[in-house]
Amino acid sequence: MATRTKDIRADTEELVTEAKAPSRQPLTVPTDKPVAYPLDLPEGEARLRTPAVGQRASRPDGRLHGLGQTQYIDDITFPHMLHAKILRSEYPHARILSIDTSEAEKMPGVLATLTGDEIPENSFGPTFQDQPVLAYPIVRHRGDGVVAVAAVTEQQATDALEKIKVEYEPLPHVFDPMEALEDDSPKVHGETNIYTSKTIKKGDVEKALKESDHVFHRQFRTQMVEHVPLEPHASIASWDGNGRVTLWTSLGRITLGREDLARTLAMPQSKIRLIGTVVGGNFGGKNEITNEPILALLSKKAGRPVKSVFTRGDEFISSTIRHPFTMDYTTGVDNSGKILARKIRLVLDGGAYCSWTGTTIGKGSILAPGPYNIDNILVEAYAVYTNKTTTGAMRGFGAPQVCFAYESQMDDIADALGIDPLEIRLRNGFSENSLSPTSQTLQSVALKESLTQAAERFGWKEWQE
Amino acid sequence: MLVEINVNGEPRSADVPPETTLLKMLREDMGLTGAKLGCDVGDCGTCTVIVDGVSVNSCLMMAARANGSKVTTIEGLANANELHPLQEKFEEHGALQCGFCGPGMLISAKSLLDKNPEPTVFEVRDALAGNLCRCTGYTKIIEAVMDAGREMRSGQSGA
Amino acid sequence: MRALDYIVPESAAAAVALLNEHGETACPLAGGTDLVVDLKHSPGNIQVLVDVSGLEEFHGIEETEKGLRIGSMVTYGEIMENPICIEKIPEVVAASHTVGAVQTRNLGTIGGNLVTCVPSADSAPALMVLDAEVTVTGTDGDRCMPIEDFFIGPRKTILEPHELLADIWIPKKMLGKPSSFSKFGLRKGQALALVNVAAALELDKGKILEPRIALGAVAPTPIRALKAESHLAGQKPTADLIDEAAQIAVTETKPIDDFRASANYRRQLIRRLTQRVLTQSLEIAAER
Repeated sequence: MATRTKDIRADTEELVTEAKAPSRQPLTVPTDKPVAYPLDLPEGEARLRTPAVGQRASRPDGRLHGLGQTQYIDDITFPHMLHAKILRSEYPHARILSIDTSEAEKMPGVLATLTGDEIPENSFGPTFQDQPVLAYPIVRHRGDGVVAVAAVTEQQATDALEKIKVEYEPLPHVFDPMEALEDDSPKVHGETNIYTSKTIKKGDVEKALKESDHVFHRQFRTQMVEHVPLEPHASIASWDGNGRVTLWTSLGRITLGREDLARTLAMPQSKIRLIGTVVGGNFGGKNEITNEPILALLSKKAGRPVKSVFTRGDEFISSTIRHPFTMDYTTGVDNSGKILARKIRLVLDGGAYCSWTGTTIGKGSILAPGPYNIDNILVEAYAVYTNKTTTGAMRGFGAPQVCFAYESQMDDIADALGIDPLEIRLRNGFSENSLSPTSQTLQSVALKESLTQAAERFGWKEWQE
Repeated sequence: MLVEINVNGEPRSADVPPETTLLKMLREDMGLTGAKLGCDVGDCGTCTVIVDGVSVNSCLMMAARANGSKVTTIEGLANANELHPLQEKFEEHGALQCGFCGPGMLISAKSLLDKNPEPTVFEVRDALAGNLCRCTGYTKIIEAVMDAGREMRSGQSGA
Repeated sequence: MRALDYIVPESAAAAVALLNEHGETACPLAGGTDLVVDLKHSPGNIQVLVDVSGLEEFHGIEETEKGLRIGSMVTYGEIMENPICIEKIPEVVAASHTVGAVQTRNLGTIGGNLVTCVPSADSAPALMVLDAEVTVTGTDGDRCMPIEDFFIGPRKTILEPHELLADIWIPKKMLGKPSSFSKFGLRKGQALALVNVAAALELDKGKILEPRIALGAVAPTPIRALKAESHLAGQKPTADLIDEAAQIAVTETKPIDDFRASANYRRQLIRRLTQRVLTQSLEIAAER
């Protein structure tokens, strides 16, 4: 194993050392024009040829990135712009008894404060609208915003946060998703913590398991992951004289964002302009609104543009994260390693609010059996609320978690039956016109060809020896 | 307090509160927004600039400490007529995606190539260890730095 | 950052006087790689920063009759490039290389790192096995002590509020002594040590002479593994002897369970890394 790693590293070193970009015209610019924005960039070759597929395409934004002239939100300032900071909850689950901002409002430079009860419609969310803009009267995780302050400088806003007095009545909290499933667990919202579920049934899984030569069972768990985009979430809000608000924001889904703003601000969409700017990394974490309604309202109160940039700490506790999955896999195979039945239970740690769980549970459930021809499938998936950071969209949307589970179990099965791990996957893998777990006919399936070609390139056979 | 520095060859000054970091002063008082605020604690490297010949996290350096110093930021890499070879190669190789790590990466890479014109891949990784990137996986960045090093060496020998 | 005053004193004496005058509300600023982070998140009482990073008295690397002197305000980057350090204290250079990343090493000073006094300070074990001494300067003048006596506990040194670490000395007879340093972190860069170890020794007629083993991140301060050292002293080196010494070293440590690793895992690291640094030091000694 150690030798193999060394070989791979040596090859990579070679590749990297020798790497040369395909030749292009030199990139010097006309001497009578300074190297600055705006620029006439040479037309990309890909655009000039037909077909474009297979041609080298260059990123048009590479020039400005390299010059350091790309404008991210935090690089944009407006005259008289204020800075906003958010005070977040002290408890994972609590009732807010009182909020006193009087001392904060007296602090130098503070021009406006905002609490949840001032939001016209204090709920939003891509699937269910269960998330408040500013929590009131219940906070459901430590990252929940409670009070927002706008001040002339960032430091003044931060200093003002320290003067805000919030009285909480702590409520019982639940952190463990398995505990959250139980009837007697503390409830995050409403009567039950199970807020969405999905079932996929195909064939007769119990019968097929009984008829299997071997049955494998294991529980797999994945952890919380945070996107850590290098650019923190950021937005600026500004109103014009005609009662229209403009938001410059790192938000990725701007039509959805505009709907959420119209809803939370109780304004017609025609009066809301949302400008999705160049973003410094999203990966799914910037797919829903965060501070935008807060800034719009602060800006309205203060009569000046307001900017807010998440601190790195905010990014970790308040912005969305990947769903931790607890996955129980029971797989029945015959003696040749062919999968006859697969029974799966998925429990998604759904955080304090729904966010993109609907999509995650859907994708996770459909992909849970893996890219393998299985006639008898049962997937039961549940998403539960817990008093932890909101779980949302993150590249893969449920696929990475279940992939870890089904691929690990394939290796377990291969090991137990003494079958080559590649071979067992080729025996079970999808081909053209295979049926997905939800009986969709799959086309353009290149699974086995890809595996085989990759195995050749990696020297799979040699490595096995 | 008045802080006077030489930035990218130009004398600049700003009157800032004493607790201002160099990063804040560059971005907010001097309009040089190339250096970024990614973490503010010296972990991510997006704030990297060169002060008196060495690359530093400008979010950790007090602006007042830089008084009298020579500072190079990303804005100082290209001149009016030409991109720096690093900027050329980053663009050719498609080394940047969202671009946020770019200014810091380029400054760290420049700092490396200025001292070590023929680095090994390991030395490039070591030199860029303080610059995080969440988009690219670093491979093309390293290729671009190696390629830029070749370009800079051939430029010198050809001259 | 909260409003602060920033003063650049003209001399070490002036710095000491300022710290004495302002008491708990002032603190010395070196590279800032730890302090500035703290000031942003938990400033406490600090209102005045006394920037000592540029003081001439605390700079310089020179070799004299007494030994090798490194000014406390010398950065890790400077140590790594200094020819005297590379030749005479290569393991301190190696340890310096493992600190943070290029940018932090260009700001971070060896003195600042020792004064911050986290148990995992990387240069500490490498300095301890070379019998390093430190000079502390204050209102009552200078005092000198072995580096082990400088550390009291996590983030606590013997420094009085008005005192400054002036320089670090490595005695002449320890320069060039066969030594080795090893650090294990969860990453190769920008990682705290789970365990760091250094060893130094000589071989005299095939027997181990004056062995030194120092460990970091496994006790409230960096420590010498004295029992392990006496197990080696005067003995002929064998693989078994080295392993025994490594196991004894484990018993002298108090590693903790935390989110980075379990105490058990750390114990295994201590044993393995101690074996490694002893073996490497012996190889260097054997070549002489």
